[in-house]
Amino acid sequence: MDGLRRARAMALKEVMHILRDRQVLVFALGMPVLLLLLFGYAVSFDVEHIPLAVIDQDHTPQSRELRAAFVSGDTFVPVVETSDAEAVEPLFRRNVARIALVIPHGYGRALGRGETAEVQLLADGSDNTTASVALGYANALALSVNQRSLATILGTAEPPLSVRVRTLFNPGLESAIFLVPGLMVLILVIIAVMLTALTIAREYERGSMEQLFSTPVGRLSIILGKLGPYFVLGLVQVLLTLTLGVALFGVPVNGSVLLLFAVAAVFLLAMLMQGLLISVVARNQMLASQLALLSTVLPALLLSGFIFPIENMPPLLQGIANVLPPMHFVRALRAILLRGNGIAVIWPDVLALAAFFVVLLTLATRRFRRTLA
Amino acid sequence: MLRLRRRAAEPEPEPTADLALEARDLERAFGDNRAVAGLSLALRPGELYGLVGPDGAGKTTTIRLLTGLITPDAGVAFIAGRRVAPGSSETLEALGYMPQQYSLYGDLSVHENLWFFGKLFGLSGHAMRERRDRLLEVTRLARFGDRRASALSGGMYKKLALACALLHQPRVLLLDEPTNGVDPVSRRELWDLLHEFLHEGMAIIVATPYMDEASRCQRVGLMHRGRLLAEGRPDELVRAFEHETLLLHTDDRDALEEDLASHDEVLAVSPHGSAVRVVVRAGAAEAFRRTLPEAIRLEAVAPDFEDVFLARVRDAETASGVGGPRG
Repeated sequence: MDGLRRARAMALKEVMHILRDRQVLVFALGMPVLLLLLFGYAVSFDVEHIPLAVIDQDHTPQSRELRAAFVSGDTFVPVVETSDAEAVEPLFRRNVARIALVIPHGYGRALGRGETAEVQLLADGSDNTTASVALGYANALALSVNQRSLATILGTAEPPLSVRVRTLFNPGLESAIFLVPGLMVLILVIIAVMLTALTIAREYERGSMEQLFSTPVGRLSIILGKLGPYFVLGLVQVLLTLTLGVALFGVPVNGSVLLLFAVAAVFLLAMLMQGLLISVVARNQMLASQLALLSTVLPALLLSGFIFPIENMPPLLQGIANVLPPMHFVRALRAILLRGNGIAVIWPDVLALAAFFVVLLTLATRRFRRTLA
Repeated sequence: MLRLRRRAAEPEPEPTADLALEARDLERAFGDNRAVAGLSLALRPGELYGLVGPDGAGKTTTIRLLTGLITPDAGVAFIAGRRVAPGSSETLEALGYMPQQYSLYGDLSVHENLWFFGKLFGLSGHAMRERRDRLLEVTRLARFGDRRASALSGGMYKKLALACALLHQPRVLLLDEPTNGVDPVSRRELWDLLHEFLHEGMAIIVATPYMDEASRCQRVGLMHRGRLLAEGRPDELVRAFEHETLLLHTDDRDALEEDLASHDEVLAVSPHGSAVRVVVRAGAAEAFRRTLPEAIRLEAVAPDFEDVFLARVRDAETASGVGGPRG
């Protein structure tokens, strides 16, 4: 009981620190909003409005039809119309166009005769993402034009093979819906690890840890009291991120909200332990913040599947990603939010999170000694 | 946590009865540096003990060994009859500790700091308020209850730290250079406060580099290189001093001080106004007199505590064959 009372005093003191230090609150509550708006609106992996140069040397109804097919959607915006093939490279250099459609002389005639008609598509490879998306889109367009021509030639209304793609769980393939779970991970790792690492390192740095250790307060009470407020703050952020994600970007909540919070709680505990371990090893705020940033943001951004698919990584990185919590949490979140999965599906990820928590708890409490030297 | 107990065959050391604090042959090294090298202490309740020594003598390490913040390489310590160990709540509850560095929370107010440390010692409600108000009264901090600790002056901060250490009415109080960076008026206030708490049966250790503070203690230990060179009542240490103290009146103090450095019989040299104060080895005073130029006038004076300390340090260094006279 004494231990609990002391833990409560520690926690109340921590809340006072948090309330006194406006920066912490601004950081903790402002960052989720900022990141969500940034990633939700500004950063988009949906490639649209690519500036297109159309070099039509054919000037036939067929060539105009192809051009119309390219610019009918939102993907390409025609910025230059010319018949001079030499003009393409300067346009790329000046960043006026990223992609160029060259319809050579004789395209319409070849189509009319049933011969293979050639068009050329030039892409600016310096912007990798745009180029690959644009080329994929162009290929799809060419395929559909081909199919229609074939149908005309074969005299059938339907092409022999038709692939209908229907995307489940995120039909518009909108990146915001896909990103929100990843963002939640990014936000939580930064808050949970960074803030706890700093607050405990601060006690060492300012000498108050020496005073704490000279009182009968136990290590467990210190840990519970120091980390408790940040645990609550983390859950508040889950709520905030989720609410914003639903309200602004229409992120679906197909699964159980309770389960989502339960998984988030396990993830938070693991992250708090990581913060504790960093601070008891570093014992000063400068080093602690560096270690916290390195050990959280990198895995959360690169090894979580948030942006880059884990499956395409070399086996070593895949192994690391499997050990660290971010990937498991992103997977569990996407499963709950988008697919509406229950614990029956996501338990391996929850287990991995729990295992990480137990290992770090053991390491941190072993390093957290009640002595100064 | 798994802890292997070595030397299981040896009997558990027993504390001496009626002592508030006891240290037996404490040893602690940091790398090659033997910070504390075989130190023993014993304090009765109501005793004020001054641990006096220059910076680096091992005072802070000694005090931390007594709190359990540092584990000894050898030796044992007892607080209120219980063996000191890291995180042992039995000794920590009987202990008040004021570290040398700032150790309170600057962003919390005077009241909040007291509240927090009171809670850690299990105080609450009426008892907490009563003791807090009494301590604020005697430290004259009552008017500053809502001020943040970081906004207190050096002297007020130390008084708050003292109040935080006294809140749970410890039986043993350990103060590590409590008057460091404190103005003379606040310094006297702090010492007067300590004497008040002595009457209540508290045992107090004060580590200090200031010789003039030694005379305020009932007993002092002269600490140097991790050892106690001498121990006793300050006046007795001075009375038992066998060497001679002389004042040398000269027109050129710098030249004289330089000249004195080569005299083996001179144990300590310190400036004293326009004169130079020296401690000369017992029996060597006559010979020393003859080596000095005619123009210098000598005056025999009574030794004080600082003379005793400087000479004892010099004696110890000569005995161990290290160091030379220190300015």
